Amino acid sequence: MAELAIEHIARIEGHGNIAVKVEEGRVLEVRMDVVEPARFFEAMVVGRRYDDAPLITSRICGICSPNHALTSIKAVEAALGVEVTERTTMLRKLLVYGSFLQNHATHLYVLAAPDFVGLDSVFPLAATHPEVVERALKIKSLGNRLTALVGGRPVHPVTAVVGGFTSEPKALDLASIHDQLLEVANDVLATVDLFASFALPDFASAGDMLALVESDDYAIYGGDIESLDRGWRRPVAEYRDVIVETSAGEGHGNAKHSRTTADGRTFMVGALPRINLSGDRLVPNAKAALARLGLVLPSRNPFHMNLCQAVELVDAAEHCAGYIERVIDMGGSSKPATVELGRECWGAGATEAPRGTLYHSYGIDANGIITSGDVITPTAQNLANLEADMRAFAPTVADRSPKEFELLIEQLVRSYDPCLSCSVH
Amino acid sequence: MADAPSVAIISLASDFGCQVQITNIDPGLLQVLGLIDLRYWQLTSSGHMPEEYDVAVIEGAVTTDEHIELLRRVRETASVVVAIGSCAVTGGIPALAGTIDADCRFAAVYGEDATVTPGLHSPVAISRYIDVDYIVPGCPIDTTEFLAVLGRALKGLSNGMPEQPLCASCKTHGNECFMRRGDLCLGIITRSGCDAKCTTLGRPCTGCRGLAPDANLEAARKVYAAFGHDFDEVVTALDLYNTDREVCR
Ligand code: SF4
Ligand code: SF4
Repeated sequence: MAELAIEHIARIEGHGNIAVKVEEGRVLEVRMDVVEPARFFEAMVVGRRYDDAPLITSRICGICSPNHALTSIKAVEAALGVEVTERTTMLRKLLVYGSFLQNHATHLYVLAAPDFVGLDSVFPLAATHPEVVERALKIKSLGNRLTALVGGRPVHPVTAVVGGFTSEPKALDLASIHDQLLEVANDVLATVDLFASFALPDFASAGDMLALVESDDYAIYGGDIESLDRGWRRPVAEYRDVIVETSAGEGHGNAKHSRTTADGRTFMVGALPRINLSGDRLVPNAKAALARLGLVLPSRNPFHMNLCQAVELVDAAEHCAGYIERVIDMGGSSKPATVELGRECWGAGATEAPRGTLYHSYGIDANGIITSGDVITPTAQNLANLEADMRAFAPTVADRSPKEFELLIEQLVRSYDPCLSCSVH
Repeated sequence: MADAPSVAIISLASDFGCQVQITNIDPGLLQVLGLIDLRYWQLTSSGHMPEEYDVAVIEGAVTTDEHIELLRRVRETASVVVAIGSCAVTGGIPALAGTIDADCRFAAVYGEDATVTPGLHSPVAISRYIDVDYIVPGCPIDTTEFLAVLGRALKGLSNGMPEQPLCASCKTHGNECFMRRGDLCLGIITRSGCDAKCTTLGRPCTGCRGLAPDANLEAARKVYAAFGHDFDEVVTALDLYNTDREVCR
């Protein structure tokens, strides 16, 4: 009999309880309960002006706030038919990558790594392995500086609005961040090596994997939704048709669960699905890192999420440096485009957040007042798949010591990098 | 570090943004952590809520019976309570949910058949339930201001929050006034101290720091009217962070 019940599992974003019970190879109970109170963001935007949507909904998550703000902006723009310049798009991609650098560094070093070195938190590492903690902070603070440079501050960007940017970074500051992005190359590669050195359980998730894909770039800011197993590809405007959201059921708290409409399967979103679907569009250094890891794609092992996040750090640094070069060279303007109201409309937007695809959509009336809102967060999409994985994985490790059993289950949960406050919105 | 003050960082209903700002203290998060005995921080460490600590740093709005109970316990334990972020200080954006009828809220998010969860309240500031000794307003908090207030709290000094509205500090940046351009800006009634961050970056103030204790609301009402903004428009804008007009100043 292997059993565990953890209240308020630590080192994840938000509050959640997990319970697992296995008896003679039979799973009696598996639960991942979200104990965050319901927050009603979708109801809160109704009745407010369209340009309040990004401001309000970005407070769903202060951890990936650039993604919420931009996804909301994209949905409003899609509804109102606002076209933005290429310069605006470039700057927005920098914000998304800033969010990747901040989040992946935090997740990998602060939240995930302690599991693999037998510690409760990252703080004792500061005494024993200062260089590791310094590296983590270096990558994270570079993400912060990039986000702050483009968005005005590291959390809840100020400058990104419907139609463009209210203020732009100075070319000199962009050039300086560009150099810092190149300088961090060794640190991001060392991150890949660090996570490559940790032994990972061998396990395959049975769910599908979804991510945005673009034909000419590693998709983080735009593209279509693609399914790894079924191969279908659909525009973001149809996200409601391809994903069904249901209440997670009795005892699960206020979270929701998602399945694909096509075959009713649970699915995964995040760094692993992204690399499975777009690995060939990573920058050369990131591809090389992938090859060094010996990861055979597609991988179905959720424990590989950490490795994929590390590879995405390599990709983010180099991709950003390239985008900055283009922003400096391209000219043009990111001044907010004018918005024309006067008709009822609806629009959807999506970006790849650090934890996976994030969808927003709004209905807007002729006066620019929001009439409906819908948000599907990465964690809301992942929860059902995570529970299915826990159910399949637990019996395979039920013979381990109680401590080890608990650690392995927690590792699985943390691999998904769940953001539980996001999952209840 | 026997006599370093012990600190617990606690979060209620929030988006974690202010805690993220604490992790963003840069450079020197580790130095700061060296000066205090950090007993509890669920975001970063496995470990249980301790029995004793000197200072409680609280993020987030109060929305459940559990939160209320937790707050009462915290107040009994901690000698100093610091509220961080708009959510904790004014109710912030979460409190906007309180402007919508509970049945509608649940229906919009969980479908028409959903029932209102028992024990769930409209989100409010923590000072609605317990005495708060220090505030760090803003959405999110500014790390420098957080460190300054924490330092003052540890030394037993006053909060040191500016009480004037934002306009004076906005002007020192040489910004063109949004009101003159026809935009509604809450800077004329919002507590300064953010160095006019948003207005300097080209966005009117949305009032995340709460109402300035020194703001003259009657005069402001006339100013808004003179610039063509009717009162409803101002109220809608103010509701974003400050639905609870009594606690927000
Ligand atoms: S004040 Fe703003 S940044 Fe801070 S927790 Fe609340 S919503 Fe997040
Ligand atoms: S300008 Fe207004 S909204 Fe912006 S940080 Fe200052 S008080 Fe908050």
